[in-house]
Amino acid sequence: MTASQDRAPVDVSLGLFDQDLLAACISCGFCLPACPTYQLTLDERSSPRGRITLMRAVDSGRLPADDPTVLEQSSYCLGCRACEPVCPAGVQYGALLEQWRDLTWSGARTPPVAAALRAGMRMTPALAAAGRVRGAARTTGRARGDGVQLMLGCVERSLFPGVSQAVTRLLPGIEVPSGQGCCGALHAHSGGSTEGHHLAERLGEALPGTILTTAGGCAAHLVNVLGRDRVHELSEHLVDVWSASEAPALTDVRVGGRRARVALQDSCHLRNGLGTSAQPRDLVARVADYVELPSAGACCGGAGTYSLLRPDDAAAVVAPKLDEVESLDLDYLVVVNPVCQRQLVTALRRRGSRVRVVHLAELLALALPT
Amino acid sequence: MSTSVVRGVGLTPEILDRLREIVGAEHVLTTDGDVEPFSRDATPLFRARPDAVVLPATTAEVADVLRLATETGTPVVPRGGGSNLAAGTVAERGGIVLVLTRMTVVQEVSADELLAVVQAGVTTSTLADAASARGLLYPPDPGSRTVSTVGGNVATCAGGLRGLKYGVTRNYVLGLEVVLPTGEVIRTGGRLWKDVAGYDLTRLLTGSEGTLGVITEVTVGLLPMPETSRTGIAYFDSLADAGRAVTAIIAGGTLPATLEFLDRACIGAVEDFAHLGLDRDAGALLLFGDDGSPRDVVESLDRMAAACTANGARGIELATDVAGSEDLLAARRCSLPALSRLAPVTMLEDVTVPRPQIARMVDDIEEIARRHDVVCATFGHAGDGNLHPTIVFDADDHDARRRAEAAFDEVFGRAIALGGTITGEHGVGAAKLPWLAQRLGADQLALLRRVKAAFDPAGILNPGKLGS
Ligand SMILES: Cc1cc2nc3c(=O)[nH]c(=O)nc-3n(C[C@H](O)[C@H](O)[C@H](O)COP(=O)(O)OP(=O)(O)OC[C@H]3O[C@@H](n4cnc5c(N)ncnc54)[C@H](O)[C@@H]3O)c2cc1C
Ligand code: SF4
Ligand code: SF4
Repeated sequence: MTASQDRAPVDVSLGLFDQDLLAACISCGFCLPACPTYQLTLDERSSPRGRITLMRAVDSGRLPADDPTVLEQSSYCLGCRACEPVCPAGVQYGALLEQWRDLTWSGARTPPVAAALRAGMRMTPALAAAGRVRGAARTTGRARGDGVQLMLGCVERSLFPGVSQAVTRLLPGIEVPSGQGCCGALHAHSGGSTEGHHLAERLGEALPGTILTTAGGCAAHLVNVLGRDRVHELSEHLVDVWSASEAPALTDVRVGGRRARVALQDSCHLRNGLGTSAQPRDLVARVADYVELPSAGACCGGAGTYSLLRPDDAAAVVAPKLDEVESLDLDYLVVVNPVCQRQLVTALRRRGSRVRVVHLAELLALALPT
Repeated sequence: MSTSVVRGVGLTPEILDRLREIVGAEHVLTTDGDVEPFSRDATPLFRARPDAVVLPATTAEVADVLRLATETGTPVVPRGGGSNLAAGTVAERGGIVLVLTRMTVVQEVSADELLAVVQAGVTTSTLADAASARGLLYPPDPGSRTVSTVGGNVATCAGGLRGLKYGVTRNYVLGLEVVLPTGEVIRTGGRLWKDVAGYDLTRLLTGSEGTLGVITEVTVGLLPMPETSRTGIAYFDSLADAGRAVTAIIAGGTLPATLEFLDRACIGAVEDFAHLGLDRDAGALLLFGDDGSPRDVVESLDRMAAACTANGARGIELATDVAGSEDLLAARRCSLPALSRLAPVTMLEDVTVPRPQIARMVDDIEEIARRHDVVCATFGHAGDGNLHPTIVFDADDHDARRRAEAAFDEVFGRAIALGGTITGEHGVGAAKLPWLAQRLGADQLALLRRVKAAFDPAGILNPGKLGS
């Protein structure tokens, strides 16, 4: 009687993916316009829906995990999770991508850059040393209790040590426990989700209180492993404590005798993973003229290790954003994640732009009375 | 139940080489991994591997591909955004899936002539935005508008959330550039609102679901943008009550832009996603809206609110501004994917009945669902009599699937008995082909097949779908 019964192929799962997560997608395509790689290519293969279809084929054994298209698409994906908040079905693409990369970037198939970074981030003493040399915030000894504890992100402490320093000025007396390792976000996103989860748990032990992080990417990963109540991203925290207690008297950040014009680049995982986007805007507007970057919510191409692994694609992703930044007559572009900071500093410098890229903490520290 | 994937006929290396010559090697996909994403659309439970996926950039390339296909007897399945809900893009006989998404030029928006000319791969929202930038309205707005293409909309005669006042896609198609399966490029209609020279092939091709020709360019009519628009919601104890309110609103002489309804399960699923503060305890929600001058809009909304109250509405909320209205419409558009939160397989139907029968049909659907022991949520374009009963179940629950199919079989029968149809806007495709004869009767179906043969003597275009 029925139309579909004899034609519809039923997949038998090999159990490579979480079945509930994989089954949630109904291929409606609502996510296509939000996906940067689809927008660049208009190619179904490079869309969230197409990628989930590929994952399903792998899960049912119709495609091997090392099929060239499967490998290419799992790598071409930015992991920005812009496909999540727009998905009415509630598909958890970020979690699926972690499982996918565990399959495609395992063993010999791990891209060498990703393997090297994963190894590097494992070494706590080396990270700590790099941070000290570069002048990141001084640690305050072993964690003392369950108060708010500043996490020193591993990318940030070596590349942008000024960020944690700025935080200690915004939140005088904040505890900065020693013995911190990497949170494992980078591992989880590049084929090492088990290790990524272990590292997060270990960091949770070193920082047994509420973990305060200046990196949206780390925040989303830590929330995923340790739970929402254990993690505060900086903008969330400042909006919270500054409304509860006395906020410091902030002055305007001024450039050339007028209030600075400042735009924000969202952190993808902060916005799409944790749904936090109002707080950083609120904070910027307290000290400067806030200008909304039309593509603020779209990935900058930094995307964890992406700009190292696929520099050309990362450049293609960021290009339209650079045009926007230049057209808005900005003084500062504020970021809330060190990978975005690195990507945008490099890209804008290469273009000879005069717009300065700073972390939110650094901008706010400029507004502290001296 | 079979577990085998339907396989294609296989294309010879010569055919593949010629395809590569036509569109360029990088636009011919043949490996298992490359064609997999094109093996299905938004229809659950249908999938087939095409032998090749071809992505042309110009009308001339489309023509060359089709000429080759007719010459070699290769099936060709056109595909736009792949948001189809009747398995219309699934290559059940293998062959080529011809993807139009590279043809994305908005060629013209004319405020003087109130029309736009776009290539087939332009998305519905891109067209609407381009029109709106010139102060013009392109009314058809299927829920899938950010994904669906104008070519796909024409091929399915898509409806939307404004159908009641503004009609559906067919009311706006003025002219088409179409490549026939035999390779000739024809232009039907044009820039004229009046033109009776010859049979109305534009209308015939509108809703032809990729079985008669490949649409490469569309000329659509536009309207001046209404000054403002506003929506409100009324809550009812049951969907049938909401249906009666719809009948009362229209009987009262109001023809508003939007009358959409959702039952309790849909309200919950949509609220889980959109967080608008909808009343989850209500049995049904009626979304009503209108556009026009500010005064007309206020009057129209007041009249509709009064009709709802008179018909048992338990609460009414009016959006305070255009942004709030947009939120409500956006929430309604996501009903289908949001419903998949209930269970992964969402089998959705598209029956349409004469407006006065809508409360009756809703009651019948509920009764049929109960009897077949299926979880069914219903939403739809109430003002058009167009219902989307959606049965949800787990992928591996074969018995639930069998019960769902049996329930829908009855739903189709009931719709036809009430003077309605098996599909109002999603199309027949492969999914509804078994019920087409019941709807059309043998003579009309035979005529359909003769029309199909006249366009497509080799039977290469979307075989196994509507009319073939
Ligand atoms: C969440 C959701 C909401 C939806 N809401 C609505 C709605 O409100 N109203 C409505 O009517 N539909 C709706 N649909 C169904 C679907 O979006 C429409 O049928 C749409 O018009 C399909 O456009 P597409 O570009 O995705 O075409 P596709 O799905 O790619 O193709 C649709 C059919 O048209 C043919 N085709 C595509 N392009 C061409 C071409 N250029 N030339 C010839 N044939 C072609 C294909 O072979 C196929 O048979 C919805 C779908 C989803 C997933
Ligand atoms: S991920 Fe979500 S939005 Fe994208 S196709 Fe699947 S269900 Fe639709
Ligand atoms: S994570 Fe980003 S790049 Fe990857 S599929 Fe989702 S939207 Fe596209």
